[in-house]
Amino acid sequence: MNRTETADQQPQQSNKAPSETRGSFLGRLFSHQESGLVIVIILMMCVLTVYGHFNPSSGKRKIELTPDARIELLDAQNNAHEVGTIAKRNIAQYRVTQGDDVSDYPASRIDRFDATTNTLYAIDKQNRFLKKSNISLVLKDASFFAIMAVGMTGVIILAGIDLSVGSIYAFSAIVGAMALSALPEGAGWYISLPVGMLTCMTVGTLCGLANGSMSVGLGVHPFVITLGMMAVLRGLTIVIPQQIFNTQSIGGFPDSIMTGTIKAELFGVHPVPVFVMILVAIIGWFVLSRTVFGRRIYAIGGNETAAQYAGIPVGRVKILVYTITGTLCGLSACLYLGYFGAGETNAGNAYELQVIAATVIGGASLMGGRGTAIGAVLGAIIIQLINNAMVIFEIDQSYNQIVMGAAIIIAVVIDQTKQRVQARRG
Amino acid sequence: MRDNPDQSKPVLTATGISKAFGITQALSDVSVSFLPGEVHALMGENGAGKSTLGKVIAGLHKQDTGTVTLKDRELIPGSLDDAFAAGVRIVHQELAQCPNLSIAENLCLHDIPKKGISVDFDEMRRRAESLVHQLDPNIDVTQPLGRLSPGRRQICQIAASLDKDDQGNNAAKVIVFDEPTSSLSLTEASTLMGITRDLAARGLTIIYVSHRMSEIFTCCDRVTVLRDGKYVATSVVKDIDEPTLVEQMIGRRISTPGAKHEQSGEGVEADAIESLVGQSNSQEPHYDQPPRLILSDVCSPGKLHNISLKLYPGEILGVGGLVGAGRSELFDAIFGIDKRVTGSINVDGDEIAGKGTKAAIEAGVGLGYVPEDRRNQGLFFNLGIDENILAPIMPDICGSFGMRRLEDELARVQSRVDKFQIKTASLRETRPNELSGGNQQKLLIARWMSERTKVLLLDEPTRGIDVGTKAEIYKLINEAADQGLAILLVSSEMPELLALSDRVLVMGEGVIKGELRGDQMTQTNILTLATDESASATIAH
Repeated sequence: MNRTETADQQPQQSNKAPSETRGSFLGRLFSHQESGLVIVIILMMCVLTVYGHFNPSSGKRKIELTPDARIELLDAQNNAHEVGTIAKRNIAQYRVTQGDDVSDYPASRIDRFDATTNTLYAIDKQNRFLKKSNISLVLKDASFFAIMAVGMTGVIILAGIDLSVGSIYAFSAIVGAMALSALPEGAGWYISLPVGMLTCMTVGTLCGLANGSMSVGLGVHPFVITLGMMAVLRGLTIVIPQQIFNTQSIGGFPDSIMTGTIKAELFGVHPVPVFVMILVAIIGWFVLSRTVFGRRIYAIGGNETAAQYAGIPVGRVKILVYTITGTLCGLSACLYLGYFGAGETNAGNAYELQVIAATVIGGASLMGGRGTAIGAVLGAIIIQLINNAMVIFEIDQSYNQIVMGAAIIIAVVIDQTKQRVQARRG
Repeated sequence: MRDNPDQSKPVLTATGISKAFGITQALSDVSVSFLPGEVHALMGENGAGKSTLGKVIAGLHKQDTGTVTLKDRELIPGSLDDAFAAGVRIVHQELAQCPNLSIAENLCLHDIPKKGISVDFDEMRRRAESLVHQLDPNIDVTQPLGRLSPGRRQICQIAASLDKDDQGNNAAKVIVFDEPTSSLSLTEASTLMGITRDLAARGLTIIYVSHRMSEIFTCCDRVTVLRDGKYVATSVVKDIDEPTLVEQMIGRRISTPGAKHEQSGEGVEADAIESLVGQSNSQEPHYDQPPRLILSDVCSPGKLHNISLKLYPGEILGVGGLVGAGRSELFDAIFGIDKRVTGSINVDGDEIAGKGTKAAIEAGVGLGYVPEDRRNQGLFFNLGIDENILAPIMPDICGSFGMRRLEDELARVQSRVDKFQIKTASLRETRPNELSGGNQQKLLIARWMSERTKVLLLDEPTRGIDVGTKAEIYKLINEAADQGLAILLVSSEMPELLALSDRVLVMGEGVIKGELRGDQMTQTNILTLATDESASATIAH
């Protein structure tokens, strides 16, 4: 009966941890869920930059010369020679005199001199990784599925899954391509862009709505519903162009949706998909972490019963999340159309796995309740960096899948270990 | 502590409540009224309908007939929202929270405050603090709920039930506590009971659903007993004693034969348990024979430190201590579930430390383990009674190529079911969830208490089961010990531990704090050892 005699021993462990981790700015930075991903990205970029520096890619570049420029070939003793009087291997320097301006180019940097056109060709050594074209390629490739991964994060936080994203992407692209190819050649961006976006996103939204309402309404696990949808939509994507156009690729869009908007050039690259990715990531972050709708998603993933009893319309939230994922697939499909100028039936093959991989690498838990939009985008970038590394290290593309699979497993194991360590400390 | 509650007028009345689940009549024509400012216990065996009544009152279950009236206002049957609006709340375990969200978010989940389109985190924090800090000012509401101890989670749930709407309306008037202490340590439970009294002192009515006797006598004003879904009696706690209450619960008076350790009787609860344990094992443990189980310097990083013990044939060795003392961890270590164990674990000459579970249950070794959580660690809810009982010995009784010999199996299962008096419709078709809690527990014990078991580890063998089945299980344990089985017993119910055990080891923080024998075996001594930080094995051998 004397139960009260132990009352003096209050457990006091639980409110120490937060104040410690919140102490320093650095501590706060490292405790953040995405910090690990950023560190991984920075490390990968460092390795690739160093490797790319010592194994540069070489291209040829014309050195612009004025018509009056005079070129002398100097040997190791600095004696000038006429073209043709000295073997190429003996040339130490090329001296170019243009008016009063004299500049020397070491032979190692010059490919050849064409005397008939009076043109000097330089060997252009570039860091294989750290160059504008390569970086923008990585980001652009990542953006197509990073956008879908933001939607997928919502689905996975709900403890659901959507296997149909790749097929929704391809199907919306084909329907959008049909709409765009029907437009006149010279249609302005104010026509082509809304037509493309609206068509793709409407189709995507409807597919997502079908996924959500079927899995909620019929009470079937989303794995089954979206597995079915994956096959159905992929089939439609193949059948429709075949039956109507007898082709596997629908192109012939107005230029305004390609070079005019989505593939618009800025500083020598085509950054529009990347901008859209960043925008989607920011909106996704805000919605998930700062809005009631977003917090309800986390609540449902954490404990669906508790969410129900808290008066959260669980079914409606779920349907909405699947629908938004569909919309984002449509958005991504529209970017793809504008960027590549044609919709193909095999677009987005196996994208569902890349998208799920991106969210999981980004820290989402398939058990639900955990994940962030920014994490998913960073995960997509990591996946593309791995792809890019395979190219830079000149490893056969066939090895890609092996490396990618291993990377996913390692990422999840590291993340779980981190969770466990945090749980122990907390 | 128990001031006279305002006897004037009931705040809440349940009249003629009946409720059936399928063919089971959970409640039939139950009427109870609750006074303002009282803590009113609902008691009964498992399946008596006490939880169901609490849930009907709170609107979680919809009654078939009858009404719930709060101050002349009839509540809509089965409407959680209406009950909430009227000021009736429920705190229970299945209404668990979202461990991945912060405490503040959990508390405001039904109505997250907004600022524009964004969540108003400051307002949310303020609201949560105003609720939680009434009960425990040390809780930081911004941390994830999953990091809290079970006791503090419970406090957060109670805090949530105190919530009202923006205008300050709908304040809680009646709160149903459904088995509030079932997952709490003793310390946490006593904190919770303090909070319960505190809330009652503020004029709230607390409906306290529990089967823990001590809690009823510590913090309740009145008690209503239900049996088999029917109303038995409502009494003022001051005017009733424990045997009477037990009699009301089980419908018969338990005879009180000689108890094992007279001196362990501390209060009425202990007496009741003593009476349930009944005829103690007549035979002394065989201290003259070599020990069945010898542990020397068993360690597990962060869990156990230098555990040494000897367990003799026919002995029941109790392991006492508070929750978190490392008792279940010790069992996991012995049974080979914990893989990081060092030291020596010797069963009848076989060294099994670090060899895994398979080595522990091998025919020659004969270890058995009835874990504490039968739902998650014990039973297979997708399999029949037969496979649940035979699971550990399946590989040894099957024919060639692993073919099952169904006839042979059935005979074995039948004998076990008869011996343990498990009430089941079928041996093969029935699933454990169709059994009552007590029968589930007997099923789990039947799995391990077999002729090949030499050492049995029992972790909370009577948790959450009714008194009748408890008595049966005590009898089985004593009989098995008489036949030479060596038993290591963990129980948080101290009278049970004292009444069953021949010796008691007290654990705390992963070490053995001491050993108690004979006259030393009292609740006070166990608690003193368990809570004493400096205590080592000072009390005699």
